[in-house]
Amino acid sequence: MGFVSAAVAWFADAANWSGPGGIPQRLLEHVLVSGLAMIIALAIVLPLGLWIGHRRRGAAVAVGLAGLGRAVPTLAAIAIVLPITAAYDPQLGFKLYPVVLAMILLAAPPILVNAYTGIVEVDPDLVEAARGMGMTGPQVLGRVELPLALPVVIGGIRSATVQVIATATLGSIFGFGGLGRFLIDGIANHDTGQIFGGVVLVAALALVAEAGLAGLQRVLAPARGG
Amino acid sequence: MSGPAATVEFQDVTKRYDPGTQGPGAVNDLSFAVPAGRICVLVGPSGCGKTTSLKMVNRLIEPTAGRILLDGVDVTSRELTELRRGIGYVIQQVGLFPHQTIGQNVAVVPRLLGWDAGRRRERADELLGLVGLEPARYRDRFPSQLSGGERQRVGVARALAADPPLMLMDEPFGAVDPIVRERLQNEFLRLQEHLAKTILFVTHDIDEAIKMGDLVAVMQAGGRLAQFGPPDDLLAHPASDFVARFVGSDRGLKRLSLSRIRDVQLQAVPTARPGDPAAPVRQAVQADPFPYLLLVDEANHPLGWLDEADLPADGPLDAEEAIAMSPLLNPETTLKDALAMMVEADVQAGVVVDGTGSLLGIVTFESIGQAQRAPAA
Amino acid sequence: MDWGWILDHLDDLAFRTAQHLYLTAIALAIGLAISFALALLAVRRRSLYPPIAGLASIVFTIPSLALFAAFVSITGISVWTAEIPLILYTFVMYVRNIVAGFDSVPPEVREAADGMGYGRLARLWRIELPLAVPLIIAGIRVAAVSTIGLVTITGILGDRFGGLGFFIFEGIARGYFATEMLLGAVPSIVLALLVDRALVLLQRRLTPWAHPARPGSAPEPAAA
Repeated sequence: MGFVSAAVAWFADAANWSGPGGIPQRLLEHVLVSGLAMIIALAIVLPLGLWIGHRRRGAAVAVGLAGLGRAVPTLAAIAIVLPITAAYDPQLGFKLYPVVLAMILLAAPPILVNAYTGIVEVDPDLVEAARGMGMTGPQVLGRVELPLALPVVIGGIRSATVQVIATATLGSIFGFGGLGRFLIDGIANHDTGQIFGGVVLVAALALVAEAGLAGLQRVLAPARGG
Repeated sequence: MSGPAATVEFQDVTKRYDPGTQGPGAVNDLSFAVPAGRICVLVGPSGCGKTTSLKMVNRLIEPTAGRILLDGVDVTSRELTELRRGIGYVIQQVGLFPHQTIGQNVAVVPRLLGWDAGRRRERADELLGLVGLEPARYRDRFPSQLSGGERQRVGVARALAADPPLMLMDEPFGAVDPIVRERLQNEFLRLQEHLAKTILFVTHDIDEAIKMGDLVAVMQAGGRLAQFGPPDDLLAHPASDFVARFVGSDRGLKRLSLSRIRDVQLQAVPTARPGDPAAPVRQAVQADPFPYLLLVDEANHPLGWLDEADLPADGPLDAEEAIAMSPLLNPETTLKDALAMMVEADVQAGVVVDGTGSLLGIVTFESIGQAQRAPAA
Repeated sequence: MDWGWILDHLDDLAFRTAQHLYLTAIALAIGLAISFALALLAVRRRSLYPPIAGLASIVFTIPSLALFAAFVSITGISVWTAEIPLILYTFVMYVRNIVAGFDSVPPEVREAADGMGYGRLARLWRIELPLAVPLIIAGIRVAAVSTIGLVTITGILGDRFGGLGFFIFEGIARGYFATEMLLGAVPSIVLALLVDRALVLLQRRLTPWAHPARPGSAPEPAAA
């Protein structure tokens, strides 16, 4: 299996671990853009989704928007945003901003839909009982609905994270760094080792993120019976 | 409309899901025979194997041992789809095809049999009318637009479409509310009067079994037959403690709903017309053990009772003196209803009249009791 | 925005749009055929479903750039380098939806069909398939939208590919030429949204029984 040995050789080459094009640097760039996009997406969309689920209002609009967001090809999204952000900030506007914004667009639908669905699927009898006990709306949301909806909500976050990590590789097409650079450069140089090395790194990053979130899910929402 | 009806016979039929084990199977050594044109009800508690037995007839489940004969032919020797197209099958959840119209649903088996479109449509309309659904209104609707009771009727129509000699019905009226169920049962019985098909009917409800069945097979846990016979037999002579408990401790009352006034020996009663001279009438009444006189009019329609003690020594009888009428019963009234009416009216006798309202005779609590004590027909 | 430039390149736009549809259609069609077979297998033998579905999702998590790049070393720069990954990516959406479609057939409908004398094949064709259609079309819809997006990325393989994505790659190469980039980006988004809508309408068309007249407008049922 030629590409396995090529990849191994590539990892073994010390030169690949240093400098601005080295593995640590690219990894950092990738984590940066993915993390930034996820944090911003969560900050905006998660509360929105939870609130819409809690109030059971505006669901149709939210779901419709999520559907639209999913339909938009990510490459096209970056391409559209780039001229705008570039005009705004010639430094980061060319590389960082468009990718982050497109990733936010990518992450939003799974987070939104899962937050909404998770809350809506909480047993309405429990919610009614909580209200009957005198809890206010936000208290019901925070103490009853959210804890019960947590598995589904975190599921959405996991799904979004994995997608963002995988798709952030597209940023390299526009000159951004990140692990995608190994893929682009590998194609340009016909360097099999570099390509597969990049694949391994992206997969590893995604797995680490998955494992981390799975662990978080176990801590926050220990499995209930049934 | 009524086509040929088949005979069904179970011979030592056994179904074992775990062929290796020695323990009892789901159905064990089931044997009984159903003559053509009769309704046989399989009844028993959950898990007694009644549905399994039913499904072995059209081989949705294959028997492990024994034979099931349809018109004397072993069902396992017939080609599977051909066998099933000749048996009507009705299940509790109906199973109408959601993507087809009611008309198309009813015509499923005719279509499988290759009838042409015109004949299929005619037959579907005929059957919809038969089950009480106006064809023009229902044939182009979809199942999702119908109520539970309507869907159940379509299910029956669909099973009848190819005029099969045998119908299998698995708790067909179980999924609707009691009022609708009663109506569907009555209509089905009326339909059966025309069609005279052989029907195997499964239910867990003993009252439904007694009402619907010409023959009842009571099954018990372990897939065994506890008793087989006409409903009255089960009620009058339960074969075991299990059967006695299963039919219910009110089986005496249940039997009463099976018999009718025509099964009871009517008693004669002294009668007289208003204006008849009292003296000879009084003598006749005193001679009769029953202490009341029944006033009737010229057409022999009952008017009211006169107490023996209130009869004048002579002079014309006065209709005004009569005590209010007992409930009027006819020969088709069930004994249960008759007794209920008599108790309600607080009288000793019920007056039986014919279709025109003319007196036929009277029944008393005692004569009804005597009819029940006689051995079941 | 340089509108003059766009007017000069309208026939390129037409060509690339056609290419885009062509690449998408092949992937959707072949992907559907293979996924259908896999789904039927998974429905017959439930135990096969987790591995099939699992494998499909793992494939889906591989970044598209990576998969296209990987196939470069296997099939060089050919149409299959583009198509095979596109087809592989459709599996996860197709298989899950097709299986769910068949699962959505109520068991009593299957039982009634058997009891009435439908053979296995006839039941599949006449009863199960029509009822599975809504979910199958939902699967086609998700797959179509996703594939349209992925086709833009095939532009990495060179100017023989990419569909509308070609303009994006070219635009970057020409020093972030905004007009060209937008010429690729906007039509591809529009295309994706149009196809999405069209499939929703198709689904409604194919399932008249799911959208019958409302109970209020039809005459009220009289019988129980």
